[in-house]
Amino acid sequence: MQKEMAYSFPDEVLKHVFSFIQSDKDRNAVSLVCKSWYEIERWCRRKVFIGNCYAVSPRMVIRRFPEVRSIELKGKPHFADFNLVPDGWGGYVLQWIAEMAGAYPWLGEIRLKRMVVTDESLELIAKSFKNFKVLVLFSCEGFSTDGLAAIAASCKNLRELDLRESEVDDLSGHWLAQFPETCTSLVSLNISCLGSDEVSFSALERLVDRCPNLRSLQLNRAVTLDKIANILRRAPQLVDFGTGNYAAELQPDVFSNLAGAFSSCKELKSLSGFWDVVPAYLPALYSICPRLTSLNLSYATIQSPDLIKLVSHCPRLQRLLVLDYVEDSGLEELASSCKDLQELRVFPSDPFGVEPNVSLTEQGLVAVSLGCPKLQSVLYFCRRMSNAALVTIAQNCPNLTRFRLCIIEPKTPDYLTLDPLDAGFGAIVEHCKDLRRLSLSGLLTDHVFEYIGTYGKKLEMLSVAFAGDSDLGLHHVLSGCESLRKLEIRDCPFGDKALLANAAKLETMRSLWMSSCAVSFGACKLLGQKMPKLNVEVIDETEPPDSRPESYPVDKLYIYKSVAGPRFDMPPFVWSMDEAVKILH
Amino acid sequence: MELQLGLALPTPNMLKGFDLNNHGLDQLKEMGGLEAWNKAAGCFADKDCVKSKRSFEQAFGNFTEECRTKPLLLWSGQPNEEEDHKDQKKATFSTTDENDAEEDDQVVGWPPIKTWRKKIFQQQQQPRVGRAENNRVAENENGRSIYVKVKMEGVAITRKIDIKVYHSYQSLTNSLITMFTKDKKCNEDDYILTYQDKEGDWLIAGDIPWQNFVTSVQRMEIVKNWG
Repeated sequence: MQKEMAYSFPDEVLKHVFSFIQSDKDRNAVSLVCKSWYEIERWCRRKVFIGNCYAVSPRMVIRRFPEVRSIELKGKPHFADFNLVPDGWGGYVLQWIAEMAGAYPWLGEIRLKRMVVTDESLELIAKSFKNFKVLVLFSCEGFSTDGLAAIAASCKNLRELDLRESEVDDLSGHWLAQFPETCTSLVSLNISCLGSDEVSFSALERLVDRCPNLRSLQLNRAVTLDKIANILRRAPQLVDFGTGNYAAELQPDVFSNLAGAFSSCKELKSLSGFWDVVPAYLPALYSICPRLTSLNLSYATIQSPDLIKLVSHCPRLQRLLVLDYVEDSGLEELASSCKDLQELRVFPSDPFGVEPNVSLTEQGLVAVSLGCPKLQSVLYFCRRMSNAALVTIAQNCPNLTRFRLCIIEPKTPDYLTLDPLDAGFGAIVEHCKDLRRLSLSGLLTDHVFEYIGTYGKKLEMLSVAFAGDSDLGLHHVLSGCESLRKLEIRDCPFGDKALLANAAKLETMRSLWMSSCAVSFGACKLLGQKMPKLNVEVIDETEPPDSRPESYPVDKLYIYKSVAGPRFDMPPFVWSMDEAVKILH
Repeated sequence: MELQLGLALPTPNMLKGFDLNNHGLDQLKEMGGLEAWNKAAGCFADKDCVKSKRSFEQAFGNFTEECRTKPLLLWSGQPNEEEDHKDQKKATFSTTDENDAEEDDQVVGWPPIKTWRKKIFQQQQQPRVGRAENNRVAENENGRSIYVKVKMEGVAITRKIDIKVYHSYQSLTNSLITMFTKDKKCNEDDYILTYQDKEGDWLIAGDIPWQNFVTSVQRMEIVKNWG
């Protein structure tokens, strides 16, 4: 008698085995083995990640996975960060919370990115989930400190409250006082985005005092330098700390107090904040610099000499975020001091100025590529670049996984040869075989896309602006990049041909964004009609797309795969191309 | 390079519909701007609209089965024509940018910097109205930062520093020396620091108390010491 392997173990054993399988990919594979494994797996899946909140409905998720404890949702497209997605576009979390409130009483973790979260949603979370532990609102908006007060007051075992980069309507700093005296469970608190000067500092101090497991604390700009020492002395176990305002008149006793407080934090590895920094106070950090692995100075308007001094004290640095005040000379110092560097982000201090205000060029990045062999992730804003430099960087850093270059002026050619930068970026994709994310800039023809399609086999996310000559460029990418999940394009002469020829590719991707390109309304309609597994949405704030000839290009286009069908919450300026949906509102 | 792809489509119709070379370019060159782009796309597409639509539908009738193995279009890439119309297309898109850019000469969402970061820049530096006029670039309401331009004789780059960050002439000059000696190898003693005060007069830095200097300095220049 032949027994199938699947039936030779009782369900409990399989469940136990599956509990060691954490990654979604593996779990999905497990669920495809046979029907009984599918059933067992779905009942014991505890964590769900939904990269596009419109790809599936809450009901569908709940139906398949009835016992989820942790959920992560992402809403708006990435270009929303740069104001390309109009307000009111969508990404509302309320319906998700409402449905999960009934279905998942034991839900403990909610992580949201680029979603609209209202006070009502926060109050519902506070009311519905008795074991709520983790709330991460990354780049979210729509809520106020009233909603936070509800969370603070009700969530007795809250471990993590992280509001990074969110826009909060700051009505009062007193919400912090809503954490009951019995709340001692906080491990991570990030309130760096809060604007008001009214953060109740005494409530914060008391909270820090009674949470012995607090490992990560990011203060906001309202917290002044003289208060930092008090906080640090109450939390010497901190691993990750974000200062508030780091400015004050230089006073020896304040300085020594601060230096002493920092030196008492033996576990501190990561620092951020440093708003309005006064360089004279930076040496207060020197005692912990040797242990620092991550430093975010991207709000700090300190100049290169002070940056050099600080960085030279941090030999273990793995991650540095900094403004371009660091200049080429600062990056050269970084390259010689910080051999463990894995991630570098250089932001522009004067992005809208026409002339350079700092001496930061491609040389700085080349120096880092030469000196830091472990470099994996780069975000670099600069004003000039050359193919030669890019080739050098590619050859020096074959392990790059993320490379985002922003040459500030669109369509800037190689400053030495005046050629397009095709060859340079081509070298990046050719040498960096594990490259997962790439952002292009500068003067680029269709050739760069040919390189990307040929070599970018592991590329998952590509951002393109002011590049290319014809549909051939887009075709290279869609037909060549096997791992492509997210493609975002603006101001490129890509039209209907490549899109329609590669329509099936779109079903294998999470999403495609195209704005200020040349895709016609007719092509969008065709895609919407012929591709039921895709939601094709046209965004136009000026007039309905069907008030113009079909051949007219649409302003913005967002296409994403979905099993939920067209969404119900589209604002008037978003049109679904789904056949079943009326075009006219 | 020619791209040979699968199923048949009446190529001439397709290309006519979208080939700017033959139709709209001259008009585009004269008109410029987004309207011209739209008009050009509209005028010749109208003629071919119905034909093109049928071609697409023909193609799509077959494509769902074939999609993975055989892409649809019969299409030869136009590398030769790229060179010709590249410039025109560039011109189109840069005039588009200029139309989009409003009072600040800025393209929406470019450079790609998150909104909250831009707010920090704006809090630290007010947007410049006239570049020549505003030497004292920005003064924050709370007096948190005061940005002042510093130029050095013989150096192309004009830097901006936050005067509030320094607490004495010594700390200011130390920082300036370190900053500018990268650009121009020189002996410190050969140079003196001068500044322009509220009345427009150029004076040598160091004569008045530091706090008074901070409130009156408009811009600074490091000049060769001829004395």
